[in-house]
Amino acid sequence: MAGPVFFDTSMQMLRKVIELRQKSQQVIASNIANADTPGYQPRRLEFEKSLARAVSGGMNQKATRPEHLSTDGTLTGITGEVVTEKGAVNVDQEMIKLSENQILYEAAVQMLNKKLALLKYVTQDGR
Amino acid sequence: MNIFDTMKISASALKAQRIRLNVISSNLANIETTRTPEGGPYRKKNVVFQSTRLDFGDRLDQVTRKGVQGVRVPAIVESNRMPRRVFDPGHPDADSDGYVAKPDINPVEEMTDMMSATKAYEANANVIKAAKRMALKALEIGR
Repeated sequence: MAGPVFFDTSMQMLRKVIELRQKSQQVIASNIANADTPGYQPRRLEFEKSLARAVSGGMNQKATRPEHLSTDGTLTGITGEVVTEKGAVNVDQEMIKLSENQILYEAAVQMLNKKLALLKYVTQDGR
Repeated sequence: MNIFDTMKISASALKAQRIRLNVISSNLANIETTRTPEGGPYRKKNVVFQSTRLDFGDRLDQVTRKGVQGVRVPAIVESNRMPRRVFDPGHPDADSDGYVAKPDINPVEEMTDMMSATKAYEANANVIKAAKRMALKALEIGR
């Protein structure tokens, strides 16, 4: 897990964030696609809490819910969980969630790029 | 997991909304139709939407599988509304009392349904746009 110093926790976290945001985008897309399907209830991929826990050294945390067991307290173990919300799909809300998720995804990509650029700079001896 | 799955989910919705729009346009086109191959006046048609994970399930991981569903139109059903009877003795299809059976289609209802289909279509097109932007952004990693 703790690889060379440049592949640090924040890099791994960014990787995980990108992966989870992409999954989250699919769940939101599914909600919007089914906006007119009778009886469909919107879903949400939740991972922020377990991510925060893992980043802040979640090894000491106890599992409070059975589904948290899949998270072994490490970043790589986070898969997020799909929760079903009550009520019908609200397309405006979903569109907001979609843009929000997209922006956060792009932010993570940008940060990862900055880190990689820094690495490149170092490996190229400051040139 | 495939980065194009988001687009496929939304594409299934685009297809479903397009079918819905076709049905609405058929309803509006046949608003005065008194003769059909089945006999009698045209009956208003409704689309049925059903969520589906069949096309995506095998490509998704355990967690996302629960949350990701596409949409499809399993059937187009005829409305069970009875034709409305309009008094029009001069009409070739008028019965002996001078009444004509015309389809019970409310243009206002169809127009609102049409707007709803258009907006849903647009929303899903925007999801595809967002997915595309994300996929392109991912290609920039490490550039």
